[in-house]
Formats: sequence, C-alpha cells, structure tokens
Amino acid sequence: MIMFNLISPTLAFLFQDAPRSGFEQIKYSAANPDLAKFLVIGALLFIIGVAGVLTRRNIIVIFMSIELILNAANLNFIAFSRYLSLTGDPDAIAGQIFTVFVIVVAAAEAAIGLGIVIALYRNKETIWIDEIDLLKW
Amino acid sequence: MILSGYEALFFWIFALAAIFAGLLTVMARNAVHSALFLISSLVSVAALFVLARAEFIAGVQILVYVGGVMVLFLFVIMLVNVGAEERGTEEIFNNQRQVAASLIFCLLLVGGVLYAVNKGYRGLQEQNRITPEAAAAQEANRDKSLAPSATGSSRITNDSQSLAASLYRYASLPFEIASVLLLVAIIGSVMLARTLRQEASADDVDPETLKEEMVRDPELTNLEPQSE
Repeated sequence: MIMFNLISPTLAFLFQDAPRSGFEQIKYSAANPDLAKFLVIGALLFIIGVAGVLTRRNIIVIFMSIELILNAANLNFIAFSRYLSLTGDPDAIAGQIFTVFVIVVAAAEAAIGLGIVIALYRNKETIWIDEIDLLKW
Repeated sequence: MILSGYEALFFWIFALAAIFAGLLTVMARNAVHSALFLISSLVSVAALFVLARAEFIAGVQILVYVGGVMVLFLFVIMLVNVGAEERGTEEIFNNQRQVAASLIFCLLLVGGVLYAVNKGYRGLQEQNRITPEAAAAQEANRDKSLAPSATGSSRITNDSQSLAASLYRYASLPFEIASVLLLVAIIGSVMLARTLRQEASADDVDPETLKEEMVRDPELTNLEPQSE
C-alpha cells in the first residue's frame, strides 16, 4: 500500500494529459480519495445501520444501529463541508455546525430511548422486539 | 476534497475499519460486543473527520459518543438480562423471511445510493474541477498563512475557531433550542426510568392503580406520600 502510494503520484504525473483508463484510473482514484469516496463510506455505514434496524431482535442493538445511521449522516455533512471549503464557499463551515446539532440530538435520543428500554424491561421483562406487541391487533 | 499520500493510506485504513466494525456491530451475538464494535466504528469515523479537517467535531464525537452515549448503552445492557443471547438459546435476528426481505431492500438501497453518488458527483465535478495537484497547492498556500506551533514542526489551524465563531454568530438560536432539548431529555429519561416505588414516594401514581399495586407489593404502603 505504501509502495502503491509512492508510485501513484508518478503515474498521475505521467498520465497527466493522456486520458486514464481502466486499471490506471482505479489506481489513481484510490490513491487520491475525493468527496465521492467519503460519500460512499457514509452510504455504506448508513445501509449497515438500516440493515441492523430491520433485522435485529435486540432493542438495544437497534438503538446502536440508529447511532450508526446518524454517524453516517455526520460523515456526509463533514465531507461536503470540506469539499465546499476547498471550492472557496464562505459558508462551508455550516456542515460542521449541523454535525454538532446532530450529535446533540443523537445524545438526547439515546437518553430517552434507553429510558424507554428500562421502563419496558421493567414492565414486560423482555428486550426482544417481536415480544413487545401491545399495539399489534 | 482530495487526499493524497499518507492521508489516502489512512483514509482507506479508517474507512475499512469503520465499515467492518459497523458490520460486526450488527452481527455480533453479544450486545456488549456490539457496543464495543460500535465504539471502534465511531472512533474510526472520528479519524475520518480529522482527515477532512474537522478536528473539533472529531473531539466532540469521541467525548460525547464514546465517552457518554456508549457508557450509557453499556450500563443499560448491564441492567437488562442478556444471558439468553450469550448462551445462544435465542435467535438474534428476526425470522428468515423478514431478514431476506430487508437484505434485498438494503441491496437495492446500496445500488441506488452508489448510482446517485456516481451520477451526482460527476455533475458536481464538472462544475468545479479540481485536480489533486491543484488541491495540494491550494492547501499548502492556505497552510502558509497559519501560525507555526511551538515545536515548529506543524501549524496551528483555525478551523475550531471559525466553527465556534459561526456557531455562536449564526446559529445561536438553534444552540439555545438544543440546550432546551437536552434539558427535556434529562427530565424525560429520569421520569421514564423511575420504578413504581419511586413514583409512589413522589405521590405520582393514580390512587386506583396504587391500590391495585399495593396488593402485589405491600411495601408500597410505607412509601405513601411523605411530603405535605
């Protein structure tokens, strides 16, 4: 990987004018991660979180998956903030401010949600969501 | 935003760490293991924040999430019984049809999101094209204007400073609303997590319900309203 990182700038220099194609393009874009890579990482984290919410039975793990989803959104905010600051947008810092508020809301959500889990466990003696079906007809 | 050299190397390390830790969070049988994998995922994402020059957010992420929220999670896991899960007698996933449906949904979501990122980013790039070399030169220029640190090996960034200035200048009302939200959350979680005894001693239970509950738990009579 380090070798790869040392080689790729040379490759980039060599192929500066010629249109890169196929493997070279992939190598080049892997050695120079840009906004799209951050967005893809954020999207994958988001989808892992969604999969956790949809498939798990343990309500606490579902809460953790929600934290993962919120964190993926934060990653997107930060990546766009950085991208816009490089293009010279004076309001680029707004992305970071949004992230602060997302973290605040996530903390409040976790506190309330875990309070609900405790109350639920006291009344129903279970943390399995398929056994908590009071509202199901 | 284009990273290069060692930044690119660290980007891939932390990105893969975040993804794999996230996957293991969802797949771990033991909830405590899930929490620990989630912590490593959050720390990796904090490292990605540092790579995107959001040092303050990275610090907040570690302090609030890892130091606060995850400790809360671990306490709740400790309070509820997860023994059955650890012994492997309970199924950790929903029934197979639900799991299959949600996995298909997630795969469709992956395809859709990747397509959207690909299309959208290409359009964005055409608007403001910036090569890695140009980005590096721009960065170097910007760094030159910053004050050197005490050791002289690096420079002091003003990212946190501009974040704080913008936060209090342009987002002071949302900031106050956020503090009210946190207050509501504190009060709400205390109210939700009280036991019946605590509620009875605060004279906060419906008298009819209290009479019914007294049959089950005689000690409740001793806790009758102490105040007034």
